[in-house]
Amino acid sequence: MKDSSSGPEPGTGNPDSQPAADEEQQLANAAADFHDLRASGEVVDVETFCRKYPHLATLHSQIETLDRLEVLLNMPAAAGAPARQPEALPERLSGHRILSEIGSGGMGRVLLGVDEALGRTVAIKVLDSRYVNNTLLRTRFMQEARAMARLSHPNIVHIYNLGQPEETPHFVMEYVEGTSLTEAARALTIGQKVELLHKTVLAVEFLHQHEVVHRDLKPGNILVGPDLEPKVLDFGLAHQADSGHRLTLAGEIMGTPDYFSPEQAQADPALDARSDIFSLGVIMYQLLTGTLPFRADSLSDQVHKISEQDPVLPRRLNTSVPGELQNVCLKALEKKPGDRYQTAREMADDLARFLAGEPVHASPTSYSRIMAGKIETHLRDLEAWRQDHILSLYEFDAFRKLYDRLTDREDAWILEVRRLSLSQVALYLGAWLLVVGATLVVLFRYDSLSSTSAVLLAVAAAGPTAWLGIRCWRQERFRIAIAYLLAFCLLLPVALMIAMNRMDLLSGFSLGKESLEIIAQFSMTRRPTNAQLWWAICLSLPAYLWLRRFTRASVFSLVFAAMAALLPLVSLLRAGAIDWFPDEARRFYLWLVPVALLFFAMAALIERRGHQADSRYFYPIAVLFTFVALSGEAAQDKHLTDWLARTVPQTHGLPEYLFITNAVVYLLLQSFSERFGSAQMRTVAKVFRFVIPGHVLTSILLLGINATSNWDNGRSPGWQTETRFFEILLPLAACAFVFGSIPKQMKNFFATGLFFLAIGIIRLQQDLLKNHSLWPVSLLIAGLLLMYIAVNYTPLKLAVIRWLRRGR
Amino acid sequence: MEQPSSSFQLLERIKKGDREALSLLLDAHRRRLAVLAHYRLGPQLRGLVEIDDILQETMLKAYLQLDQFTYRTPGSFMRWITRIMDHVIADAARYHGRQKRQATQLLPFRSESNPGGPEPADSRTPSRLLAQDEGLRSLMRELDELPDDYREVILLAKIEGLSTREVAEQMGKSRETVALLLHRAVKRFKKLHDLEESL
Repeated sequence: MKDSSSGPEPGTGNPDSQPAADEEQQLANAAADFHDLRASGEVVDVETFCRKYPHLATLHSQIETLDRLEVLLNMPAAAGAPARQPEALPERLSGHRILSEIGSGGMGRVLLGVDEALGRTVAIKVLDSRYVNNTLLRTRFMQEARAMARLSHPNIVHIYNLGQPEETPHFVMEYVEGTSLTEAARALTIGQKVELLHKTVLAVEFLHQHEVVHRDLKPGNILVGPDLEPKVLDFGLAHQADSGHRLTLAGEIMGTPDYFSPEQAQADPALDARSDIFSLGVIMYQLLTGTLPFRADSLSDQVHKISEQDPVLPRRLNTSVPGELQNVCLKALEKKPGDRYQTAREMADDLARFLAGEPVHASPTSYSRIMAGKIETHLRDLEAWRQDHILSLYEFDAFRKLYDRLTDREDAWILEVRRLSLSQVALYLGAWLLVVGATLVVLFRYDSLSSTSAVLLAVAAAGPTAWLGIRCWRQERFRIAIAYLLAFCLLLPVALMIAMNRMDLLSGFSLGKESLEIIAQFSMTRRPTNAQLWWAICLSLPAYLWLRRFTRASVFSLVFAAMAALLPLVSLLRAGAIDWFPDEARRFYLWLVPVALLFFAMAALIERRGHQADSRYFYPIAVLFTFVALSGEAAQDKHLTDWLARTVPQTHGLPEYLFITNAVVYLLLQSFSERFGSAQMRTVAKVFRFVIPGHVLTSILLLGINATSNWDNGRSPGWQTETRFFEILLPLAACAFVFGSIPKQMKNFFATGLFFLAIGIIRLQQDLLKNHSLWPVSLLIAGLLLMYIAVNYTPLKLAVIRWLRRGR
Repeated sequence: MEQPSSSFQLLERIKKGDREALSLLLDAHRRRLAVLAHYRLGPQLRGLVEIDDILQETMLKAYLQLDQFTYRTPGSFMRWITRIMDHVIADAARYHGRQKRQATQLLPFRSESNPGGPEPADSRTPSRLLAQDEGLRSLMRELDELPDDYREVILLAKIEGLSTREVAEQMGKSRETVALLLHRAVKRFKKLHDLEESL
């Protein structure tokens, strides 16, 4: 506390060195007592206190001096001043007639006024009367107005004029007839919200360019008029970066910390424009999801959340939020300023890209944190393996090192680390051998093994496996238990079948051949019947369900789904499929359609009841059945091709047309499954989508080749037109698929399209455009032109959109 | 004079989320904090950091950490907020120390150790708080006139609101000495004050 600017007064020595007269010390002690009483919060009356020391005549004046100092220090506003009374409205300010009060904030109130000469309504911000006599606050208040008046931007509130010194401090600004951003956004579409945000971000960018950091961006400070134009206002906290002056009212605590950036929440002195970016991110999050990203009951909790916690992903709260916008929002909400958008311009550009339907550039780091979380779960998995002694400590460490490298974002690919260890492999291999051995026992006859002992052997294999599995489960050695139980799952139908075979149970009720045809090819088999196989599977299904419930491991749902898929196939066997398949293949494929539907229904039902881990095994089976059924129908159904040739003779009954029809069916199926909105159904839709280009383009190519060869063979002249038609159709369709890859990001559309486009170009070159030099030249020009458009795509597109709007 | 109950009432109102109450309470302590900040910053930092900024950060921190504050005596608020301000000043000193190391071309201001340096007041506008508050400015002028020991005892006892026993502890002196020091300091201050008034 040494201050060099003031030296000790000349002639005054060190106070300690002067001997204190007894009376002076007494006086000092009494005054000190008085001071201490006050400091501890006692209410002490000066007169009463002084009466206790009648011999100290000067005590009273001494205490008075003490008090004077106190008064001097408490001058600006006495503690516990009475609550503010509602003030009367002034008649006029700066020549404006005052109509009413619109609102009041920390520093003052906002009045509604009318400029009678111009006939316009204005908003007038008036400094609170409490602060009128405070020169400091007065100056700051007017500085805020000057900071705003320097800026002229359509999305920033205009200042018309500043109040004259003789009037109550005030300034006149544009009156925005509108609501706060969140209010206004309530009824808007996502696109409109983004438009609003885009404009707001550009306005903030304008502020930043004029070296003003707003510091208090929140929906209440962004008013939106009925024309959906946002207006940024209230620079109460504005900080002019160039002067280094902070226009903040020292005693004034700004609104809510909901929109604070981490550096603001920690009162970091080095605060820059990127703090505003964070606040914009919070606003964006609120617009997209309807809730604030960081909410807590107490302030310190809130500060902790703002600076430490990742917000819940917006898409978790509102599935209709596009992933691109989520990326933009999370990028703005990065904790470290260096990870955020570095300027508001960058953020505005990304929003413009979204509006133009372009991919945004943002890639928030929070995804990699989520990824790290997933790796952590897998590491816990590995830890469990280690505890079961399936993984050695050495192997576990090796895995962990690989994962560490991955989380450190070194180049280790996830597949590389998902390697199996020797003992893991051995465990599952043993289980598999057990199952295969038991199957051999069931199917083949061995001279030295009577059928009774075969039954006993199968039961001896199945029983202990189940027992060991359940015991391991109870001992919480889950991985081993699942290996045993999986072996049991496969052994169970085998054991059931061999038992039924031995006892000759349930062998009948089949059409066609009774014995299992495929097995009957070999000699020395036990010849179990179709019916026995069917019953063995059917009786095993409840066991799988029980295991699923007992272990809560979804892998048993996989077993259940696979076995349930076998069941309809075996049913077809029982219905004599082997007998009639060569002649009536369509019957087989038609039968698969209801089976596929049944699996879809089961999967949807299971997913609906909240067992996503289980339903994911049913969908692939359903999809597989659909593919087999539809492709089989198209390729093998003679009735269908005959019918096609009869009704549409132009098709010549070629099965390629049926494949194109299938592609249309897949298209319908994918749009149907996408409507369900569940993640798994979306995957199903993606699989259906995946096969479409292959179906369509291969069919067109084959039809073209077929037409060409018919034309070459000199058949009817109609083949020439058809050849030409398919020659032109193929590159067109290929281009359609290339561009069709954009909406759903189907990369195989793109690749397949490019591949077939090249084939189409070659086919054109071979036939129609032989020896036309313009053909490759025009290809070159088209390529260059496309590349130019692509490079300048966003500005060109925005220009076109604006032009179209103006036209309207 | 600080009313014991009013400060308490204000704190109660703040806890219920009344921002105006906090604003009032902080207003009441603003001058004291400004004086303390001025002397704690020291001449070097005073040229780089504005008292206004220090107060601003202190207020913000106080606001954010309010739920950690417990009311015991009327002085506890002042004591608590002074502690916060000490942290803020230490942070600012660290920050500027770092800045200075990074920017070596920055000339050090004039001080006892560097009499050739530029005057801090020349390169920066003086704190607006001081510039616009006449009362506060004259108070500081008077405090500047006092010998270091006198000023320190007044800062601790009257402005920070410590009891004489606490002041004695901080200054490493006996309570008797502190009482005498305070007595003489106030006497001297009165003389200066009267002189200033009469001018």
